Amino acid sequence: MRKSVWLLLLALVLALGTLSLVGCGGAEEEPAEEPAAEEPAAELPADVQAILDSGVLRVGVKSDVPNFGLQDAATGEFEGMEIDLAYALAERIGLTAEDVTFEPVTAKTRGPLLDNGQLDVIIATFTIKPERLEQWNFSQPYYQDEVGLLVKKDSGIEGLADLDGKTVGVAQGATTRDAVQAEADAAGITVNFLEFATYPEINAALESGRVDAFSVDKSILSGYVTDDSVILPDGFSPQDYGIASKLGTDGLTEFINDMLDEMEANGEMDALLEKWGLL
Amino acid sequence: MAELLSNIGFLQEGPFSIPRWEAVFQNLDLLWAGMLVTLLVASLGLALALALGVIFGVMSASHWRAPRAFTRGYVEFFQNTPLLIQVFMLYNAIPILWPALFIPVLAIGIIGVGMYHGAYISEVVRAGIQSIGRGQLEAALSQGFTYVGAMRWVIIPQAMRVVLPPLTNQAVSLIKNTSVIAIIAGGDLMYAGDSFAGRFGHYGPTYVLVGLGYFLLCFPLAILARRLEERTRVA
Repeated sequence: MRKSVWLLLLALVLALGTLSLVGCGGAEEEPAEEPAAEEPAAELPADVQAILDSGVLRVGVKSDVPNFGLQDAATGEFEGMEIDLAYALAERIGLTAEDVTFEPVTAKTRGPLLDNGQLDVIIATFTIKPERLEQWNFSQPYYQDEVGLLVKKDSGIEGLADLDGKTVGVAQGATTRDAVQAEADAAGITVNFLEFATYPEINAALESGRVDAFSVDKSILSGYVTDDSVILPDGFSPQDYGIASKLGTDGLTEFINDMLDEMEANGEMDALLEKWGLL
Repeated sequence: MAELLSNIGFLQEGPFSIPRWEAVFQNLDLLWAGMLVTLLVASLGLALALALGVIFGVMSASHWRAPRAFTRGYVEFFQNTPLLIQVFMLYNAIPILWPALFIPVLAIGIIGVGMYHGAYISEVVRAGIQSIGRGQLEAALSQGFTYVGAMRWVIIPQAMRVVLPPLTNQAVSLIKNTSVIAIIAGGDLMYAGDSFAGRFGHYGPTYVLVGLGYFLLCFPLAILARRLEERTRVA
């Protein structure tokens, strides 16, 4: 009896050990890449060259956020401002639009997908935060949004102050919870949070009255407004969206920053925002 | 020791690095709160599942048609639809269809796993009862036992030995299945892990510990069941 208990425990420890080894294989195999700062400007940084050599740019995008990253249910095609950014990046690397593969991500899955090397970059309404900068590389911001609140019209909630003692639904792994909490603290009210994995689930909880408000960045909320619901005028905690890549891919991040600088300067960025109604 | 650790690459950088383990261990109270919710939902859910399982199991082994048909419907419904959908419906559809019937999320967890595993357990109990020779029941009835009395004093004690191993399987799956309430913000261990990993990003150590938490709940049960099984065999 006792022997079998120990054997089982040993098996568990071995299983966990193997799991963590597998999980980190990517980090060990890849030699630390030096930023290609000293090299001539014409040459691609090593991590960008690696993407060019592989012939594909693997991009994590949102599939359920209108105007940013939305997957057409009928055709399976992705479209939105962030999709166009991915195409622009591919072109700058020396690839074509056909070489871009899109992978739908959620707030919960995008970090791990970068860490385990399945994706090259994440362009998915990913807010730049100090804690996140310790875990992933981020480009400079390409869009700024603010956190908003969607409520049912018949709830009588007209502003943040009316949310005292109410429940707010937020997405797991998003910055929204901290942003709303800070705003509630400042206003001297208490709010409760329920976290869900996807936006449609939060919306369902709003419909069924499980939560009193659905909170996320306003650009995302706009896709969930119905005849019965309304976005409150309150907006807070500006969110800077950046393009994320694996920690240490400094050459790639610099390459992306140069691209964003250029797009800002030559008016391409404004044209892109206007195309998707985000100006 | 320190030198040995410094040679292990995954402890130095990446999702499983030492600072991340430290960060998770400093906030262990968040996961602990989830563990207690899981324990509560699992124990009350198991009590409900056992009660339903025995009642419906006896009904489906009976020779009256009506209770058999009723049990069949119950078992087929719960065995052939995903628990996830049952829980999601209780959470989101019931408040829209019948606003008066607003079930709190913990109760949904208990009812959800209780009804679902109750269906499986009733099948286990039915099989156990039917494995005891028909002569046993007839003998008991001829001695003046009522149907329920014969079940309680003659059939079920013998069937226990047969059903204990599959019953343990059900109890262990029930504990693990309580994790579905994470999708309806149930506050259980899985939800706490998701929430923690999402907010702080240390998903590596977080999910290892969450997995360990479920193991610690399930493993003693498996041991206990094995002990009970040995004891019944001796008796």
